[in-house]
Amino acid sequence: MDDSTVSPARRRFFLTILLGGVGAALAGLTAWPFWTYLSPSKGAGAGEKVKVPREKVPIGQAHFFTFQGHPAVVIQPSAGKYIALTAVCTHLGCIVKWEPDKEDFLCPCHGGRYSPDGQVTGGPPPKPLESYPVALQGDQVVIG
Amino acid sequence: MSWHKRVIDWVELRLGIRDILAQNLTEYLLPRNTNVWYTLGAVLLTLFALQFLTGILLLVHYVPDSNEAFKSVNRIMNEIPFGWLIRYLHVVGSNMIVIALLLHMFSVLFMKSYYRPREVTWLSGFGLFNLGLALCLTGYLLPWSQLSFWATTVATDAAGAVPVVGDQLVRFLRGGPMVSDTTLGRFFALHVMGLPLLFGLLVGLHLFCVRRAGISSPPFGSDYRLWEPKDRFRHQHHPGGIPFFPNYATKDTAVICFFLAALLTVVIFAPTIFIPPDALEPANPFTTPAHIKPEWYFLWAYQTLKIFPSKFLGLAAQGALMTFLALLPFIDRGPERRPAQRPIFVTCYVLGVLILIGLSIWGHYS
Repeated sequence: MDDSTVSPARRRFFLTILLGGVGAALAGLTAWPFWTYLSPSKGAGAGEKVKVPREKVPIGQAHFFTFQGHPAVVIQPSAGKYIALTAVCTHLGCIVKWEPDKEDFLCPCHGGRYSPDGQVTGGPPPKPLESYPVALQGDQVVIG
Repeated sequence: MSWHKRVIDWVELRLGIRDILAQNLTEYLLPRNTNVWYTLGAVLLTLFALQFLTGILLLVHYVPDSNEAFKSVNRIMNEIPFGWLIRYLHVVGSNMIVIALLLHMFSVLFMKSYYRPREVTWLSGFGLFNLGLALCLTGYLLPWSQLSFWATTVATDAAGAVPVVGDQLVRFLRGGPMVSDTTLGRFFALHVMGLPLLFGLLVGLHLFCVRRAGISSPPFGSDYRLWEPKDRFRHQHHPGGIPFFPNYATKDTAVICFFLAALLTVVIFAPTIFIPPDALEPANPFTTPAHIKPEWYFLWAYQTLKIFPSKFLGLAAQGALMTFLALLPFIDRGPERRPAQRPIFVTCYVLGVLILIGLSIWGHYS
């Protein structure tokens, strides 16, 4: 085969692409451990259940706690009925507060309102508060 | 016009970088007979950069609290993805740095590169060597293991041999009578902020001195000539030498790759050679492990303290040696740099290195 058919410019282009490819692959290989080291761990706290003593949630009151890394709240609107919800407002992520006298959740940032079961009753929130499964185990409320 | 030429043209128009690049890369000539020892500075810079990077990454997950430090290091090693790699690179990298620092210092000594007008370069380099050891010492405590706790206890205890103020000095170093949470706090602050800041400034000074005075010629070969500006400052040029880029940079890169390969080999196949079993247990201030020893690079000092009849004499001997080394350019002022013409120096040099190695081995097995 005649070497002169390939111009020096094309040879240089080929070498540049080759070296660039090898360099990019090496850079990717080097960066991968750093990227995964800094990435949040997948599913941190997933499947985790939280137990709250029943005496911490009197009738008409709320108890705030951390559930799977997020602020959450459990209330007892009537005797023996427990509802667990995320405490993060679906509007812009502020933490809602329980208003026992009005029996609803108020988001202090932009006045979003939710019913005790998390449905939007007023203000800007686009969707209801996510609810969590609740079970009773002796004197404990088990959430999750 | 290719894209990289356009980028350079764009920057050139604003900052005039072509001149700077040419002066420092392609037109910056170095002696043709530079040897592999001349590349150790670049190796050290690379290893320092790696320590800086891995150190910042470790800081993301490390907790500088005596109740949490050991647990956080365990979490880095066992739970965080590639945490083991980052920590081993940092631990093994620090040992590689000491090896490279020693090789750099001993090669400069052998070639008498500290000779006038490079006294400041030597002094800044010697300062960097000591700061490097201080970084190793302060970093050693941070995992809060049995080894780090007791090695730091022994190391800080040595300061007690200083007459009159010894006890106060030990208390000051530890932040109290014993190694404790306070010691961890001050060692952490020194390790991640105080010492690196000083280190960075001194590296800047060292590089400035190297670049300003020019690289010294190796004192070997028939065409070697002593270069000594007497009346005024002069940069040492090397007409007919090799350009820094690409010739010398290629040599630098090759040796850097060799060191990185050695580092990765140890990290992957034998990382525990620098992590003895006592480093795997959390610190217990009420139980001293048997035969606690300092790191390999402090063994000579440890053994010196043991062989002298009093701790003060041992400490004084170490101080005298370090002072002698620091002031060597002002003591050894003869113009001869060729080792073959300096038999007394070479004998002392070889004996000194052998004594250092012998003391370290003795310290290890004692």
